[in-house]
Amino acid sequence: MLVALQWAALVAINRLGYAVAEAVRLPLPGNLVGMLLLLALLSAGVVPASWLRPGAPFLTRHLAFFFIPITVGIMRFGALFARSGVAIVVVLVVSAAVGVCASGFTSQALGRPRRQVEVPT
Amino acid sequence: MKSLATAFGIAVTLGAYVLSRVVAKRYRSPLTTPVFFSTPIVICALLLSGFTVEHYQPAKDVMVFLLGPATVALAVPLHESRRALLNDLVAAVAGLTAGSLSTLVAILLAKAFALPAVVRASIALKSVTAPIAVELAPVVRGDPTLVAAFVITTGMIGAMFGPGLMDRAGIRSPLARGLALGTISHGQGTAQAVGEGALQGAAAGIAMGLAAVLTSLVAPVIVPLLL
Repeated sequence: MLVALQWAALVAINRLGYAVAEAVRLPLPGNLVGMLLLLALLSAGVVPASWLRPGAPFLTRHLAFFFIPITVGIMRFGALFARSGVAIVVVLVVSAAVGVCASGFTSQALGRPRRQVEVPT
Repeated sequence: MKSLATAFGIAVTLGAYVLSRVVAKRYRSPLTTPVFFSTPIVICALLLSGFTVEHYQPAKDVMVFLLGPATVALAVPLHESRRALLNDLVAAVAGLTAGSLSTLVAILLAKAFALPAVVRASIALKSVTAPIAVELAPVVRGDPTLVAAFVITTGMIGAMFGPGLMDRAGIRSPLARGLALGTISHGQGTAQAVGEGALQGAAAGIAMGLAAVLTSLVAPVIVPLLL
């Protein structure tokens, strides 16, 4: 029951995100706008994170589930992967390696030298 | 027939997901990632029982209903880890931007290999967390299914090889390591970073969220120019 209420709230914020994106013509997906809205509510202290437990953590923990039905559509692309599968994998591996190094080096070079790892509260 | 196909589709998908969680608990590896592990099982089950993608569509519509709300729920962990970012804002934003820009390499390589336009557009979203990438797909004329496949593959590649690569490259700062994993490999990279340490995990979670915002703003403008 509690979880259902929490999910209903998340559904409502999601809808609101799409409505806001549409109304203000934001170039952002509605679900992302919804996430930023909730982030703003949490940061402002309007909504304590405890109100969303355990419904919200349940959904994020099982986020991967939702991508199974989406990825099943890959059945339609058999010919593409037979023809260009190797090229696609090469592109993904090379660009991931470049990206990890670019991001890591940049933030390490600009970051303050740190004390040991601090545990966020 | 239609409702039978729907029930079958949901049952098979749920079953494959639960199985992947059980297997991943025993053998933790990028290969036991739920999507990578479960999708082939569902496809085989559909093919063997004579169902097509069209039969599966209603089941899919039911199952993805909570995807939007689940994306909104990501605000909770983001909020909890915001301190890691605020402590080192310049380094974090610069690293994030550099990592996101590296996606240009993917688009140019895809062009060099003469991959079809829909593939190039979809590859441009490979480092955006899946729920948002799927929404962005039509905006850049990509295909949501291809986008999901590329996102998940990139997540696996980064989680598998990212930490080893950074060891060799001498990237040792915990903030930098977490940021790089989250920027490139979103959710799967974040899971990997959490395993390295609390600061790495927090940095990765924030990087994943901000990379999604950055790409949402930039991709619709840049991707059409590069295709």
